[in-house]
Amino acid sequence: MRTKQEYLIRYKDGNLYCELADIWIDPSKPVKKALITHAHFDHFTFGCEEYISTKETAILLKERVGDNIKIKTFEYGEEFKINGINISFHPSGHILGSSQIRFIFAEEKWLISGDFKLQKDQTCKQYEIVKTDYLISECTFGLPIFKWDESNKVANDISKWITNSPEKTSLLFCYSLGKAQRLLNEISQTNFKGNIYSHGSIHKMNNCYRELGIDIKDTIKIENKKKIDELKGSLILLPPSLSKGSYLKNFKNIQTAFASGWMSIRALRKRSGYDKGFAISDHADWDGILEVVKKSEAKNVFFHHGDSEALSKYLVEKESTNILLFGK
Amino acid sequence: MSLKKFSELFCDLDSINSTNNKIEVLKNYFLSNDPIDNSWAIYLLTGKSNKRFISGRYLKNLFSQIYEYPQWLIDTCYLKVGDSAEVITLLLKNKTNSRKKKLSNISLNELLSETIPALSKLNEDEKNLEIKNLWERLPEDYHLIFNKILTGTFRVGVSIGLITKSISKLINIDEEIISHRLMGNFKPSIDSYEFLINKNINLQELNSKPFPFLLANTIEDKIFKHSTNDFQFEWKYDGIRMQLIKRSGNVSLWTRGQELVNESFPELVEKMSHIKDDFVLDGELLVWNFKEQIAFDFSLLQKRINRKSPTRSIQLKYPIIFIAYDLLEINGRDIREIILENRRVELEKYFSKWQNKTENNISDIFKICDLIFPKDWHDALTYKEKSRENNTEGLIIKKKTSIYSSGRKKGIWWKYKVDPMQLDAVLIYAKGGSGRRAGLYTDYSFALWKDQELIKFASAYSGLTNIEIKELDKWIRKNTIEKFGPVRSLKPEMVFEISFEKIQISKRHKSGIAVRFPRITKWRKDKKINDADSLENAYELMKKIS
Repeated sequence: MRTKQEYLIRYKDGNLYCELADIWIDPSKPVKKALITHAHFDHFTFGCEEYISTKETAILLKERVGDNIKIKTFEYGEEFKINGINISFHPSGHILGSSQIRFIFAEEKWLISGDFKLQKDQTCKQYEIVKTDYLISECTFGLPIFKWDESNKVANDISKWITNSPEKTSLLFCYSLGKAQRLLNEISQTNFKGNIYSHGSIHKMNNCYRELGIDIKDTIKIENKKKIDELKGSLILLPPSLSKGSYLKNFKNIQTAFASGWMSIRALRKRSGYDKGFAISDHADWDGILEVVKKSEAKNVFFHHGDSEALSKYLVEKESTNILLFGK
Repeated sequence: MSLKKFSELFCDLDSINSTNNKIEVLKNYFLSNDPIDNSWAIYLLTGKSNKRFISGRYLKNLFSQIYEYPQWLIDTCYLKVGDSAEVITLLLKNKTNSRKKKLSNISLNELLSETIPALSKLNEDEKNLEIKNLWERLPEDYHLIFNKILTGTFRVGVSIGLITKSISKLINIDEEIISHRLMGNFKPSIDSYEFLINKNINLQELNSKPFPFLLANTIEDKIFKHSTNDFQFEWKYDGIRMQLIKRSGNVSLWTRGQELVNESFPELVEKMSHIKDDFVLDGELLVWNFKEQIAFDFSLLQKRINRKSPTRSIQLKYPIIFIAYDLLEINGRDIREIILENRRVELEKYFSKWQNKTENNISDIFKICDLIFPKDWHDALTYKEKSRENNTEGLIIKKKTSIYSSGRKKGIWWKYKVDPMQLDAVLIYAKGGSGRRAGLYTDYSFALWKDQELIKFASAYSGLTNIEIKELDKWIRKNTIEKFGPVRSLKPEMVFEISFEKIQISKRHKSGIAVRFPRITKWRKDKKINDADSLENAYELMKKIS
């Protein structure tokens, strides 16, 4: 057995780090070289000398933070070499441009899952099964109580929720990158045919998706001084940060909902303060994580981003998987 | 009508916060369903059916056995979800893809009057098999309701008052009448529902209606300018505020929450029905210590209020008394417009008449409240401070010239409450909450110093804001010393101000003291653990009071 220092990839200062290539994965502080799995802000930080990502991730990032970053891009599956290590991006199905990252060195394969989901999502490439020896996987929803419904079922529930209250303005809160576009795509295939508005931050991302060739329904950018009557019966997509505070005072007679995997638990739904919760996630559920562990054929698995205790114990007991612990 | 409608109703009620919308949803449900399903819905929603067919533990074991699921994994999930029925519902998702014909059209009536009662007739093996069969045959959307009914934990944010309101709106009849109809042994049936929505009101129903309650405000400085002679002073009891009504020979007991509670206190109903006069009394119901002539703790009263048709031995173990504050109606004459001073005269007059002339002795269950006569406000303060000795919460001060109006009217009645006792204590254990607080550490234990050691003295789970709960939860996870199941022992670092109502010696606790109704009143971030109080301080507090 090797010591932690001898692993190709390990935890350093709370971030994933490959010493041999002197490269960091989704670092939370400025470094020389950073591989970026996807364009969510909790996976990105300003001030790195160089970023490396997929083309889509680079475009989304520049749209969000400006052109002032040095970023090198590669296609999915395209291998590049750093210090003798072969590195490649592979679709992770989380959002547009999101990727798993594979490292091959001295015939040893390492795979960082990034954030991923297996569910169908027409707004991004489907998760690709990648074989590996070592798997570093996220486990945000690492308990068997998490079992996602088909996304069209959730979309139909949302559609019903809006149309059942035609006198109200329905505010649906969701992450502005990824979740919003997926929801728009799904909702446009339901019976709901009313107006859809979106907040500026979401509107911007919608346009970006469209430029990258993803079919996203047209939405109206929400202006602060909209007439209340015009909004009756329509859907407005907003980022969760606006759910608390004075922003909601712009509207009258509203119903609110939050779209997130956590909403599958009644207690969390009640505590969230939203009227309604729709359980839809861009992360894998329990079965999804188990499937990836199995199909990747990894002999050694690390978990991060989540409570991995139960998942690890289960894999050791049931599947005799070798679970390694990261020193954080 | 299929169970689908009820399942949708449950989801709607669960996700609606506004009372008016809930009433609207209920009204629509009642309008669009069969009387028999409506009567079952009312039965479930009013919590009249909390019968437990199997325990939550049994449900979890059964699932573990059928699907070869490790028990520890189910327990871990439980910590996140906080409800056995819901955990199993979530775990059942996509587990039941059997080819068996689905029971999509089963009605609420069938489920509750046939399917579930049939389970109790089976032996254990048959029962387990049948539950599995039902899990497979019931559509997924019905699992939560099914599991909740099985475990007797069906609850949704709807009070009996809300049901009453929605039926009252449905047929345009006063809530008190519906409340009266809902009282008692409501057995789900077509007849019971039709009776509930009958638009013809009978005389007896009309006669049971209580008056709106008059409520006291918090003490205001301006009253200290007046002479104490302008006011009537009473002890503030910690019981259940009630109107005791007798009209045309029938007695009804109404709580302030518009609940008719005759069934919980049959001995009071019986005794009062012997009085010849008709009347409406405003007063307080208490469990009474007849030897010392003071009230027992509210906790003993709770043993009575939640129990319908109490046995004779329960009645003797927890003897109740009704203490009348006020007389509102006498022999059909509404006297609420007469000033308090004169109403009191009437109350005393009738009380002595009833005491002397009623065949059964009523004084073992009914009395009128004693008045206090402080010379001045300083004297009133002394009385207030003494209120703990007789288990009251302070004083109620009523303007002698006031009439009995309704609601929390200003400038008529005031409550002059004794301040809570307080100690600063150190947080040492935390336990996961359940239900709405699942997945968060919300049950806390606090300790006081004894020499160099921290000794646990109280547990509390209320008093923090939701934001504080989240912040503390984060801190707890980072500062855990050891985990014992759901409990974590914590690094002693956080100090909280704990308030409580009573302190007494207790042999059961290591600290040697027990406190009543402890709650967190302040997160003392400004204090270090060495600033926390000691057990010595607690004993001193106890001495000062007795």
